[in-house]
Amino acid sequence: MMKVIDLSIKEKIYKSKQSQLSILNNFNLEVAAGEKIAIVGESGAGKSSLLNIIGLLDRNYVGEYTLFGSPTDHSHTSELAQWRNQRIGFVLQESALINSLTVEDNIKLPFLYAGSEKKNLREDENFETVVNAIGIKPILKKKPLECSGGERARAVFARGIIMKPQIILADEPTASLDMENRERIVALLFGLNREFGTTIITVTHDLEIANRHDRVIHLERSK
Amino acid sequence: MKIFKFFVSKIFLRKVIPSISVILLICMSNYITYIAARTVISTFQGYQETRGLNQEGNFIANLDPNSVADFGAIEAKGTQKVYDYLNSHFDYAFYVDGFMVSIPNSYDMEISLCYMNESYYAANQFELLQGTDLMFDFPLGEDKEIPVLIGKGLSETYPVGSLINIDDPALNQAITLKVQGVLKGNEYHSNFYALNSKSYYIFSIFVPVNEEFINHANLGLQVNGLMDIVVLQTTEEKILDLSEVIQDTLGLKFNFFSQQDNYEYFNEYYFHSLKIVAVVSLILLLMITCLSVWNALVSIRLMLKDLTINLLVGLSYSKLRKIFYSYFGIVFLINLVIVFSFTAMNRYGCWLRKDATFSTYGLFGLIGMDWLALLFVVVSDIVIGIIVVEIMLRKIKKVPISLGVLQ
Repeated sequence: MMKVIDLSIKEKIYKSKQSQLSILNNFNLEVAAGEKIAIVGESGAGKSSLLNIIGLLDRNYVGEYTLFGSPTDHSHTSELAQWRNQRIGFVLQESALINSLTVEDNIKLPFLYAGSEKKNLREDENFETVVNAIGIKPILKKKPLECSGGERARAVFARGIIMKPQIILADEPTASLDMENRERIVALLFGLNREFGTTIITVTHDLEIANRHDRVIHLERSK
Repeated sequence: MKIFKFFVSKIFLRKVIPSISVILLICMSNYITYIAARTVISTFQGYQETRGLNQEGNFIANLDPNSVADFGAIEAKGTQKVYDYLNSHFDYAFYVDGFMVSIPNSYDMEISLCYMNESYYAANQFELLQGTDLMFDFPLGEDKEIPVLIGKGLSETYPVGSLINIDDPALNQAITLKVQGVLKGNEYHSNFYALNSKSYYIFSIFVPVNEEFINHANLGLQVNGLMDIVVLQTTEEKILDLSEVIQDTLGLKFNFFSQQDNYEYFNEYYFHSLKIVAVVSLILLLMITCLSVWNALVSIRLMLKDLTINLLVGLSYSKLRKIFYSYFGIVFLINLVIVFSFTAMNRYGCWLRKDATFSTYGLFGLIGMDWLALLFVVVSDIVIGIIVVEIMLRKIKKVPISLGVLQ
């Protein structure tokens, strides 16, 4: 299997206003295309920091990171932004929507940053397919605050996959959802993996969901 | 465009008072820059124009502001005596304007007569659109024609070769002027003492003045002529003698300064004013920068979640930079249009008010120095824009963006 992620972190310093903490010391991660990985661990272990690094939002660490076979350490920020737009999808908690935009505009947000790559995307066709598959057509013209938690979670999910990414980074995607919506989101995630071979990396506190992944990585707080 | 609108409404215009303050400060800064640049250009033109007079041995008359002058007591006999003395001892440049006449013309403007002698004309190198240079060897009489030059604004009504009949306010008699040439578009005259101040000749008639003309002119022209007379190629001793003759004959105390002295007098207050303008501009720049950066940072902290989502789906700092530059580009463009409109209203207003001395040719009356000053504003806006946007971006990059914000 082709390696999509090859990450080697020697040290990451997490700085807060009060203190600074060394996390993810000598952490290595290799992920093959189409793999489903769950990351679990107690608060402060560095789960979100790891996802920030994998998602190219954070480059303040000592180490090396190769994504899709290309080293990212010296890439220009606009190139990294393009990767986030085209190749990485973020599936986040249901609150991760822009409240001043409609659900439709939220889902279409990645298209606005697609630039010249946009012409290769069949924007409307893609949108229709995703919206129908996820079943959120009735709420498209609503603002996020007018929707239920489950609807918002599905809208976040739709935005995460609208560009047909090769990797999905899911950060607690089922937190604050009821059982029915939780299962719906997990089924959508795994369906993508099955159908398109999308690599899934999920950060979760839910061990039951974690265990449904191919691999579970436990992160521990530095001592 | 959607992204641009989103950021403009969410970052720049989120807080109304700081946003409007920034726009007003930029407007103020643009206007000050514009006025300062135009003054500098106009002053430079003034220096260029008076360069011909700024020679060793040239002295410009100036009525002593502290002397007590009784103009009512001055008689034609006295002024004649002074001019006789001038004619026999000196070469001098004579120029008087401001005598107005009403003659038909396409724009219904009052026409200013500018009386000048040959030395003044020679020193000023006026450019002509049509016709030939002014001649000073002409006979004076009721049936005679005086060859004149006219401003471009009169050339439609009075082409070269046409005759103009006027009641001459300097000779107090009807005379016939023959158009010998037309001055170039925006020919002007700078004030000796305020080099940035100009009057334009579009609706003027240059009337040549020779000894006979001055001898026949009324007291008004003769006394006014003395006020700014330029004595050429002489010595300080002779000038002192002339000063004494004028004081003894007319009771007027005249000082004679070289153009260099006038420059120094002008520079003294001019550079002081420029320093004030520079300091004010710097303070404005500082205020614009601080207010813009503060406004953007406060707004970004308020919309950190929205910004993070945008970054997740493909926004980059270089795109953000483009958005910021576009926003400031639009703000600067609006301000530039305001400054342009203000200038156009000012210049075009002279045409509407029939202000012949300040009417100029150009788009809405804007002349070269206006466009150049607008260019300065553009350059200054680019500098302000770069400073503000880059500082804003540096600060924004320090705002920690992470998935944690969305939890």
